[in-house]
Amino acid sequence: MGVDLTSQYVTKKTGVNINFIVPAGNENEKLNTMIASGKLPDFITLGWWEDGVKKMIEGGLVLPLDELAEKYDPYFFKVADPIKLDWYRQPDGHVYGYPNASSSPKDFDRYKELKPSNQTFVVRKDIYEALGKPDMRTPEGFLNALKMAKEKFPTVNGQPLIPLGLHEFTETGNYSLEDYLQNFLAIPREKDGKLYDRLTDPEYIKWLKTFRKANEMGLHAKDIFVDKRAQMEEKIAQGRYFAMIFQRSDFAAQNQALFAKDPNSVYIAVDGPSNSNLDAPKLAGDGLSGWTITLISKDCKDKARAIRFLSYLISEEGQKDLYLGEKGITYDTIDGKDQFKPEVLDLLNKDRAAFDKKYGASYTFWMLMDTNMMLQWAPPTAEPMKQLEDWTKGKTVSYAVFDGINPTGDSDEGIAANKIAMEWGKTLPKLLLAKSDEEFDKLFNEFLEKRKQYGYDKVLKYQEQKYQENKKKIEK
Amino acid sequence: MALLGVIWMIIFNYLPMYGLIIAFKRYSIIKPISKAPWVGFQYFKEFLTDPEFYNVIKNTVGISALKLLIGFPLPILFALMLNELTSVKFKRAVQTISYLPHFLSWVVLGGILTTWLSDVGIINEILMKLNIIKEPVNYLADPKYFWGIVVLSDIWKELGWSAIIYLAAIAGVDPEMYEAATIDGASRIHRMIYITLPAIKPTITILFILAVSGILNSNFDQILVLRNSLNASASDVIDIYVYRMGIQLSRYSYATAVGLVKSIIAFLLLLSANYVSKKLNDTSLF
Repeated sequence: MGVDLTSQYVTKKTGVNINFIVPAGNENEKLNTMIASGKLPDFITLGWWEDGVKKMIEGGLVLPLDELAEKYDPYFFKVADPIKLDWYRQPDGHVYGYPNASSSPKDFDRYKELKPSNQTFVVRKDIYEALGKPDMRTPEGFLNALKMAKEKFPTVNGQPLIPLGLHEFTETGNYSLEDYLQNFLAIPREKDGKLYDRLTDPEYIKWLKTFRKANEMGLHAKDIFVDKRAQMEEKIAQGRYFAMIFQRSDFAAQNQALFAKDPNSVYIAVDGPSNSNLDAPKLAGDGLSGWTITLISKDCKDKARAIRFLSYLISEEGQKDLYLGEKGITYDTIDGKDQFKPEVLDLLNKDRAAFDKKYGASYTFWMLMDTNMMLQWAPPTAEPMKQLEDWTKGKTVSYAVFDGINPTGDSDEGIAANKIAMEWGKTLPKLLLAKSDEEFDKLFNEFLEKRKQYGYDKVLKYQEQKYQENKKKIEK
Repeated sequence: MALLGVIWMIIFNYLPMYGLIIAFKRYSIIKPISKAPWVGFQYFKEFLTDPEFYNVIKNTVGISALKLLIGFPLPILFALMLNELTSVKFKRAVQTISYLPHFLSWVVLGGILTTWLSDVGIINEILMKLNIIKEPVNYLADPKYFWGIVVLSDIWKELGWSAIIYLAAIAGVDPEMYEAATIDGASRIHRMIYITLPAIKPTITILFILAVSGILNSNFDQILVLRNSLNASASDVIDIYVYRMGIQLSRYSYATAVGLVKSIIAFLLLLSANYVSKKLNDTSLF
């Protein structure tokens, strides 16, 4: 693993020393090269939605965890969550990967108040208060607030203010303006048991047109179309944005820095874009699919040891070791609760990078982290992040049943879906930059036409089928 | 010793060509090439009928033609001018400074250019101070500037480096010719036009033939680091298209098919440029 105290402790305890191969460039290409050359590392961790997962399973490059466990380590079945195993069970009856940050529907209800959604709409506190805390839930209120912010605070420390910040524009669109915005508008993902096309929902289109109008009024800085994550983080740390549709955990470090400079200049969550009924948003929480899944490759030399190590990592013992580290060194029982020592917690809050290097706890190694189990050891969230977290409480719902319904890879549906996504990625900025609502409608209809040409029907059929399968799995 | 070179060529240049057959197969990386099913010309058809096809070709040819039109004669002119400098020290200094940018990678330069060309970048600052523009322009956010940015930055980066080959050719000209011409009363301009240029004409021709065959090549790294979703309509060139629709989507067969189309056209261009040049002035590659 590394030089930090936690990995030294784990190595001492289990005798396992991990050599991480972290792809320097595009992770997908790196994995493809590994698959094509037929040489895979012992463990592979990647996003569950990645095409590589399907490829490795279909190509027989990874081992079924259930078989390994029966043969070498029945303890695995004691620590693994049967619902998660069922969720990842393939048509051949085997399970090849185990997820992290995953929440079963049962756990989801138990933990949603403790661990709410990550999706927030935030504004800079001082500017927002100086404007008289305007209501930003309606298109009119939203545009008006941006306009006032730009007029009253044209610059921040000599640099122009950016009225609205979004996640970065990519080849396939913009996270802030798709599911994220649709969740804020509480647009359902299914109607009468069938998938609903959220993209063509009138409420959604109304808001996209609002963002177009914002551009017409000169309220979009060109930066937002061009900047990548690194440039955005820098601008957030300078407090250059007035409002942002941005995941709260993605700017925690920057918000902390702002808080240290001036507690009034931080970003706070407020009610943002809403539908015409002003319904509360339905934000996404942890899904059953989780974030990444970890697989064991068939090239693994010591299979027994691999599955035992995996069991250890997902067990409560392993989770505690990776979260808290070694007793007496990084944590202690303080006031009857196992928690980080004060100096450790202090570094964690101040400088995460230094913390990772020195202590390596708090899931520096997150590959199998159980974000529900963690809550019993976690320190309470401190300001400025607490306000953001509190805001999302009561607005979080589970979209688990819609996970993994998008076709991937080089199947016909996968290619169609990818082409549609790329076409959308080109259309979305054009929609925002359109000179009039008529031009917007024209571009949007052109996109729908192209979507059909690329084979949207095939994609929809695939999604519907997967969705029905998921429903059965979850209801079981 | 030549045999070793031939073996090397066969192993590293000819044997890999076997992989080209995946352009006609539906290849997936989990199975060997020989097991992939044949699909004939399916991928070629897909490329030629893709709605993006026209735009991609337009951008590729447009950018390359501009680079050829402006970027090809400039190094020749630059080399001629360098050759006329009398101070050796000054000449060396100019040469070094002009070819230094060549050694910067596009990844680094892309970051620098993005900053320079942004709303608050140095270019806008200068133009505003000079009252040439009133409002700052985000140059990379507008497709209409993209070709210009790509062509100019490429020339700036490669001018000095491209001039080296011409300087070498000029150095090979027999000094006695210049002496004879001077005695006959030829001025500097005369010597340049009637001695230097004809002497380096074969070099120019060969480089021109190669440049024409490379017209479908765009500078992949350069465009990749400078493109974004706003200028995509002017920055999608064949190489980027192959990268996005082929490599990124793991569609290696499709990427190979598009690459093959490109290579065939490039080869035809090479042949015709070579033929024309042979007819016109007896210089050719083969």
